[in-house]
Amino acid sequence: MLEIDNLDVYYGAIQALNGVTLNVQEGEVVSIIGSNGAGKSTLLRTVSGLNRPREGAIRFKGSEIQGTAPDKIVRMGISQSPEGRRIFTNMTVQENLQLGAFTRTDNEIQSDMEKVMDKFPRIRERLKQSAGTLSGGEQQMLAICRALMSRPKLLLLDEPSMGLAPNLVTEIFNIIGELHKDGVTILLVEQNANRALEIADRAYVLETGHIVLEGNGRDLLTNPKVKEAYLGG
Amino acid sequence: MKFWGVRLLSFVLAFGFVYGLDVVTQTAFPNLYRLAVLAGLYVTLAVSLNLINGITGQFSIGHAAFYMIGAYAAGFVSQHMYASQPLGPVLWLVVMMAVGAVFAAIAGIVVGLPSLRLRGDYLAIVTLGFGEIMRIVVQNVDPLGGAYGLNVKPFGEPPKILWLVWLLAVLCIAVCRNLLKTSHGLPFIAVREDEVASAAMGVKTSSVKVTAFVIGSAFAGAAGALLAHSETFISPDTFKMDVSFIILTMVVLGGTGSITGSIMAAVALFAIPEWLRTMQVMIPGSSIVAGILAVGIMVSGFRWVQNNYHESVSKRIGAYLACVVGAAVAAVVLSFVLAFIPQLAQQRLDVAMLRMVIFSMVLIILMLLRPQGVFAHHEFSWDWLSKVLRARKGVTA
Repeated sequence: MLEIDNLDVYYGAIQALNGVTLNVQEGEVVSIIGSNGAGKSTLLRTVSGLNRPREGAIRFKGSEIQGTAPDKIVRMGISQSPEGRRIFTNMTVQENLQLGAFTRTDNEIQSDMEKVMDKFPRIRERLKQSAGTLSGGEQQMLAICRALMSRPKLLLLDEPSMGLAPNLVTEIFNIIGELHKDGVTILLVEQNANRALEIADRAYVLETGHIVLEGNGRDLLTNPKVKEAYLGG
Repeated sequence: MKFWGVRLLSFVLAFGFVYGLDVVTQTAFPNLYRLAVLAGLYVTLAVSLNLINGITGQFSIGHAAFYMIGAYAAGFVSQHMYASQPLGPVLWLVVMMAVGAVFAAIAGIVVGLPSLRLRGDYLAIVTLGFGEIMRIVVQNVDPLGGAYGLNVKPFGEPPKILWLVWLLAVLCIAVCRNLLKTSHGLPFIAVREDEVASAAMGVKTSSVKVTAFVIGSAFAGAAGALLAHSETFISPDTFKMDVSFIILTMVVLGGTGSITGSIMAAVALFAIPEWLRTMQVMIPGSSIVAGILAVGIMVSGFRWVQNNYHESVSKRIGAYLACVVGAAVAAVVLSFVLAFIPQLAQQRLDVAMLRMVIFSMVLIILMLLRPQGVFAHHEFSWDWLSKVLRARKGVTA
């Protein structure tokens, strides 16, 4: 579904991604783990069109999308829940969800909103509330809901567990598991390597802009190198 | 059909207000006619800048440039072409408003394009520079009158256009309000809130920003066209940087993003200096110093109340009143004491001369006490008022 081929991304003179190659098949959950500054978020930003690659190709369902404007990419069916959630704190929860469906013109937005809220009952409770008054976990749920509102074929999740208490991290990962069961294709970027590898069909390890390892989530969990570097020995 | 009922009612009310304002001013307060025209123009300017600055979050401080472009475009065309066409004065003015709006909108695109790459302070510098460049260009173009200015007297007599000015203001308010209320408005606010997140949602941030600049500057241009015709004379000095700053102050003071706030602040900030200008009161220097000190006491009292009284509204209001009374007493006592200093007591000053000082003090005090602006992000509405009143009753009962 998504193929990334030899991707090079620079911020000015600094190279953030170096020859990254990976792919995501339909219906899969693929995790990318790595430490701070490895280039995980840069990778997702580049897929979303927020960064331009200098070299390499990104193909989504066969057509090249590198360098395409972000709004066109959303329309093609890739939607992101950005790092740090970035919900619109001065708007109501409902308005946040409406913005998630911004690119859509069909008349099923309302029923989709109901479906999303059935999955996230806490969002329904707070529909008219200003999004800034939500707790961290609720904000993360809202960010995922907002991304789902565009009916994405591929959902990009950037550090959904960031800054959350352990029980909320469990809740968020349960939700990701449920979305996976519903057939949503997910590309997940995480620092919480343990959780990310448990949930993933396949995973990649990113280190200073290079993919250094790839494999099944289960295999990587037991890989001695990964254990030492990311899972605490 | 509640929707259309409300729509119709607000149309009727708006037209009634505009017509009534024109008639009342002409018959009862002819001296205020020109001021009422200028106040209406400032309302349009503040509300249109609020669309760019407050709602879309693009920090533009060159709004006077669009005002000027509209005024000069319409003034020049009007002066040269009115005689050779069949339209009557009113229709002609409407056409001229369109001319001013189109030229200003083109300028808006030119300024809007750098806003795609620049943020915050940098955009502010560009817009400021643009405003000054346009003014100096006009100053040096002879067909536009250069530094001498341009006469705009196509009809001979200056037209009575208070109603048209306020109609434009109402139109500008209606456009901005409807933009905010409908789903078209969400992307504008989204861009202000978080540009990256809105881009990730599929909002075309670039076209949103340029649209805000185009609509905002078009209204400023139309206002400029009316200014040129009602004043019958415009010069580059009419559109100096301080005009941009006063419009910006209106937006910030009213509460960035609040349309009602912009309207209130525009009227108030325009009226205060004009009202002080008419005051023919000489006051001794000792009283002035006492007044300034008393205001200082009052403001620190207000800030203390803000920080310490959180529980009940009635207690807080009481504390505020106590501050006002205390400051008044302090003013009287201090002016009495200070009158013993001969250098101060003998120095007499006209209030009209002090008007800009008083004006700036009002601004400083408001910003100290309410930095988010009088209305903050909120809008005045009848629902809101009834909610507040009900809440008050709940507290006292």
